[in-house]
Order: sequence, then C-alpha cells, then structure tokens
Amino acid sequence: MGTEKGIIYDGYPSAEEIRQANGWPEEERWEKGPVAVVECVQQIPCNPCEGACPFHAIQIGNPITNTPRVDTEKCVGCGMCVAACPGLAIFVVDKSLGNGLAAVSFPFEYVPLPQKGDQVDALSRAGEFVCKAEVIKVMNPERNDHTPVITLAVPKEYADQVRTMRRLRLPEKGEGFHKAEKDEILDDDVIVCRCEEITAGEIRKAIREYKATTVTEVKRRVRAGMGLCQGRTCGKIVARMIAEETGKPMSEILGSTDRPPVRPVSFGELAADKEESDDERDNV
Amino acid sequence: MSGTMYKTFDVAVIGAGSIGSSVAYFNAKKGAQVVLIDAGDIAQSTSSRSDGNVLVCDKQPGFDAIFAKASQDMFPELSRELDYDLEWKQKGSLFLTETEEEFEIASKFCQDMKECGISMRMMDQKEIQDDEPLLAKDIYGGLETISDGSVYPIGLAYGLALGAEKKGAILSLHNRVTNIEKQEDAFRIETENGTILARNVVDACGVWAPAIGAMVGLPIPIRPRQGQILVSEQTFQVARRKVHEFGYMLTKFQSGSYRRPVSERVEKHGVAFVFEPTASHNFLIGSSRAFAGEDISSEIEVMKAMAERAIRFFPVIADIKVIRSYSGLRPYTPDHMPIVSGTPVEGFYIAAGHEGDGIGLAPITGKVMADMIAGEAPFMDLSPLRYDRFFSKEER
Ligand SMILES: Cc1cc2nc3c(=O)[nH]c(=O)nc-3n(C[C@H](O)[C@H](O)[C@H](O)COP(=O)(O)OP(=O)(O)OC[C@H]3O[C@@H](n4cnc5c(N)ncnc54)[C@H](O)[C@@H]3O)c2cc1C
Ligand code: SF4
Ligand code: SF4
Repeated sequence: MGTEKGIIYDGYPSAEEIRQANGWPEEERWEKGPVAVVECVQQIPCNPCEGACPFHAIQIGNPITNTPRVDTEKCVGCGMCVAACPGLAIFVVDKSLGNGLAAVSFPFEYVPLPQKGDQVDALSRAGEFVCKAEVIKVMNPERNDHTPVITLAVPKEYADQVRTMRRLRLPEKGEGFHKAEKDEILDDDVIVCRCEEITAGEIRKAIREYKATTVTEVKRRVRAGMGLCQGRTCGKIVARMIAEETGKPMSEILGSTDRPPVRPVSFGELAADKEESDDERDNV
Repeated sequence: MSGTMYKTFDVAVIGAGSIGSSVAYFNAKKGAQVVLIDAGDIAQSTSSRSDGNVLVCDKQPGFDAIFAKASQDMFPELSRELDYDLEWKQKGSLFLTETEEEFEIASKFCQDMKECGISMRMMDQKEIQDDEPLLAKDIYGGLETISDGSVYPIGLAYGLALGAEKKGAILSLHNRVTNIEKQEDAFRIETENGTILARNVVDACGVWAPAIGAMVGLPIPIRPRQGQILVSEQTFQVARRKVHEFGYMLTKFQSGSYRRPVSERVEKHGVAFVFEPTASHNFLIGSSRAFAGEDISSEIEVMKAMAERAIRFFPVIADIKVIRSYSGLRPYTPDHMPIVSGTPVEGFYIAAGHEGDGIGLAPITGKVMADMIAGEAPFMDLSPLRYDRFFSKEER
C-alpha cells in the first residue's frame, strides 16, 4: 500500500498483488510439473475459468468477488483455463523442464502467430523485454474461441517474470487489434448473440439504420451481449461487423465499456453474504 | 459573423436522453426546424441505465399525479406512432404493504388518488396471494394501480429521436456542446464539430444540465443521485407485473416520520424493493439511492441489500441467478419535481431533473415544451415545474 503501483494504476498487477491473490502456487508445487498461475487480482465478479477446468481445479466460491483459487493438487497444467479467461489473466508455468529451463504458456491474440522453433522476445507483464526465448508450442484449437496459447522455453530464473512475447508484426497506424483468424462475412440469418438469439441481420440493421458506431451502441439497440455471457462471445464479432460496415479501425470500436459484470450468482448467495459489522435484521 | 452564414434552427435541443429526444420529437411534429445535439449516442447516459416503469402509483395526489397520468395516457398512441418497438405494456402495478400500519396509510392514499382520477384499489391478503402466488405469505396486503405500465427505456429514446429525424429534425450525435453565447437574434452554440445557431435552446442534459445552464449564467439545482439495478437470468414468471413496496414511498413522502422494519444496510442505501419483469423473460430488481458524486460502479454492499430486500417479498428469488448489475445517475432536484420551464434568459428553456421518472414523464415533457416554445397555453397550470421556484423573490 502507499506506493501507487498495481493494476489500477498501471493496467497490470504488481508482483505483490499477484502473490496476495489466490492463484499463486506453493513453492514445492512448482518443481512437480506444469501448473496454472492465476493472476486475477481485481475482485470482479467473473468466473469462466471455474467452468473451463476439466479437473475442477479452479474455485471461486463465496463471496462472489473472490479471486479464483487453484487447487494445485488437482491442476495438471493442461492450459484449458488460459484461453477461457476473458481477462487474459491465467498462465501455465512448468519449472520441471530441466537444463535450467522453464516453460511459460500464455494467451496471445496477435497475428501472425509464431511457429514452433521461432526465437522471439519474451516480455514481462508490463511489456518490457526480459530475455530471448524459443517457442516450444503453439495451440490454437477451435474450442479456444480463437484465443491461441503460446508456450515459450525461458531460463528458469525468468519464469516468474515472462508473461507474453513481442508481437511479430506491429500494427499499422489506425489498424489496431487483429484477430488471429480470417473471418468471412456472416449471412443475415446467422445467430451472433446466442444468449439473446440475435442475428447478424439485426446487428447490421442497428449499424446501418440506427446509427450504432460501437459495440456498446449495438448492444443498446438490439440487446446483443446482454445475456448470460455478457458479450464475451459475441463482442468481437459485433466489433468486426461494425468495422466492415463503417470502415472504422477495430481499435476505435472496441472502446466498449463493460458494465461491472456479475458472475452468475444467485440472489440468495448475494443476500446471505453479510458485512461483518452488519447487524441482523432489526425486527420483524 | 452572424446567423446569415448558417441556417438558424428554431429549436436546438441539447441532450438526447429520453427527455431531449421527446422534446425534439414534439417540436418537430409541430413543424419547427429542430436540431438534437448529444455529446454521444442517443440514450447513452441515464436513459439507458434505467428501469422502464411508467407509473402514477408513486406520485403524490394532486399536480404530481395528474401530470404523470397525462404522460402515461400518451404511451398507447406514441407506441403506434413511432417506428421503433417501445415494448409498451400496460399490466398495472402492485404496491405491497408489509404491515397493518402501512395498509391503513395506503387505504387513505388510495382514496386521495381516486379523487385525482387515478384508478386504484386496495387488495387484502387473500387477494394478493391469489394474484401473485409466489409472494411471501406474511405480506399484509396491497394496492393495485390499473393504468401503470412499462416500456423499453432505450427504445423510447430511440423511437422519439428517430421519429424526430423522420419529421425533419437533424440529429447531431457525438458532438459535445462546449459553449453557448446569446446573441441578438439567436444563440450561438459552439460544439466539437462547429457552430450551430438556434433561436431557442432546450437544456435536456439530465445530471449535466447545470453545466449547460452555466454557459448562459443560470444556476440549476440538479444533483446526480445514484441508483442501482440487478438483472436476473431468463427464468420463469416470478410475478405477473410490476411489484414494489409501499413502505419506501412512505419514507419518501413523510420524510422521517415513518420507519420501515428493515435491516441496516437496506436503510442505509435507500433500498426499496422494486420488481420489473422484462419482455425478454428476465426481471430487474431495484432500487437504491445515494448521492455518490458521479460514481456509477456497482457497489457490492448495495447489491447485497437489494437482493436481501427482494427475497423478503419473493422468497423464490433466492435461487434465481443475477447475471448483471448496472447503475445510473438520476437527475435529482431538491423538491423531487422536474424543471420544465422557461428561464430569465429569453429563449433558453430547461427540461431536466426528472429524477426517477424521466422515462414515464418523457412524453408529456416533450409535449408541454413544444407548446411553451410555440407560445401556446399549457394543458394545465405548470407552475410547480417552474425554474424560478428555487429562488427567493429577491434573487429572481
Ligand atoms: C437505476 C435507475 C432506475 C430508474 N428507473 C426509472 C423508471 O422505472 N421509470 C422512470 O420513468 N424513470 C426511471 N429512472 C429515471 C430516468 O432514467 C431518468 O429520469 C431519465 O433517464 C433522465 O433522462 P434525461 O434525458 O433527462 O437524461 P439523460 O438520459 O442523462 O440524457 C442527458 C444527455 O445529455 C447529454 N449531454 C450531457 N452534456 C452534454 C453536452 N455538453 N453536450 C451535448 N450533450 C450533452 C448526455 O450525453 C446525455 O445523453 C431511473 C433511473 C435510474 C438511475
Ligand atoms: S491448467 Fe488445466 S488443470 Fe490446471 S487449472 Fe487450468 S484447466 Fe485446470
Ligand atoms: S476467468 Fe475471470 S475470474 Fe477467472 S481468472 Fe479470468 S478474469 Fe479472473
């Protein structure tokens, strides 16, 4: 405390914040093999990671703003959670590689993707150069919803620092964010927002006739992204459609404010969660 | 430089929330040349962070109730007239009385409202249980208001703004007003994208109305009052229609003399149980009040208090999931009535400060503002809405 460092000042968490959150494995666990490191420090209500883990190793529990806790006994380091986290806050670190090396896996959404064997610049959370590293794995399965996961081999002493890599090509001015895959123009009857069953045609109408220029503006007009998933699935597609229709760069369009999300939690859980100082109901 | 270089509009409406959009629509409908200016998108602020209740039940007998009823009566026709689907539903509303004392006070209130032409009726315990079977069994009784309804608030603003455009109004969106200068024959409105000239200006900027007023030297006593809402998942029908608690209204009207039997956190955050079903099978749970500066983050304590209060009235809600919460800033005035009025600056009007009623009161506000600017007599005496009511005689 006191020093103004951390996610709300810098946009990335400080080392202290990460260790205080729930997702940092115990010392002995590191040597045993790959393990998930959840660097989710903002106490936002969110939980896709919990559902993504096939081994039920991630738990959020009560109260709803808890940061996720990894059961490192159950975690096998498979990396399924890495691509599921909309906050790009989960990594898999393997310090058992030998030869003084460790493997760090992270989500990476920029084209072009690196190839296995490439030498790249490994970067810290703040985007600063840490060391040179070799790409040892590139995972981009369909079910990751287009968030590829890259694994680098880095000198072991840098395993806690390296969290991403330098992009292979920097975007042109005004080009902004690029998805890792080519997209086709969607037909009007394709359902884009599955939660509220809204089609590409309806979204196009919102853009053309109702003058929507950002994802939020589309949301307000057609309610896309207002369902259970809170726009995590459809947000990028809507942004792309706006880019197609208006010619605006993606970087401008994505400026959509996400309302503080509520991780699906029941009213009962919410109400039962008392303040420590809160007295019981006065009477009745 | 003078107006000859540019087109001079008859009316410039600043702020495209529900209120400004309605003012633009009714002025355009009268044939005026209108420009509707907003710093961002239509309904980007309070009007998209709101419930869609169109109520008379929570008004005070007298002017308040009659004015609200006049607005409510405009919805059926508006929803036919506008191209956008307003999702207007008129299913009535139900006030719940938690105790016998509340029931007694409600009976008197019901009588007074009937005298103002509002159709309301008391329902006893058995009747409300038959009507809303999922209600907590100990709720003492209720008060039904037959004419109450709801709309999709964002749709209302879009419908009116796009309707205004169809009638010839110019929409100037994503264009913030930075200064206003009164010249001899017109106002010179400086915006991010250039100058706009207009003979009349309507300040419909909700919680930002004071900033626009200051540009022409007028103090406007509006303050932001935060309110939060919880959104449920899509689910079964918990209640048929809008349901809320009578007790909260008592604390509002009889300031101080009535205290509800509620927990500290419910009291502290001004939480009133409000249930509103939506057309998409979710429901909204409200509501809270706080002067929190301009902070609209979702405070977790307030959410907990709202959930607790909701379960008190409908225990089944406990097992339903909350998928989202949002909060908005209600434009509050010291006497809880909006300002719909001319000002000492000739040609400068204010239509703002509707606090928790700016959706329901949007149609009538637009209509009386159009009449006022056209110099026509209002349909009733509007002095409770005058700007100068806040100032002592000397200050006027
Ligand atoms: C939680 C909550 C629940 C509510 N529930 C209900 C309900 O059930 N029923 C009901 O009737 N009411 C309800 N209300 C109240 C209602 O939402 C408001 O009274 C209403 O939306 C106010 O509309 P407005 O047009 O005055 O303001 P706004 O919608 O805030 O519009 C003001 C506009 O002015 C623009 N603006 C500001 N500064 C500038 C500038 N310098 N230049 C250009 N444009 C500018 C802004 O961009 C904005 O679009 C609720 C409010 C809240 C917060
Ligand atoms: S790495 Fe695999 S096993 Fe470990 S928490 Fe993530 S999903 Fe679960
Ligand atoms: S999915 Fe949500 S809760 Fe889980 S780590 Fe990512 S941001 Fe945190």
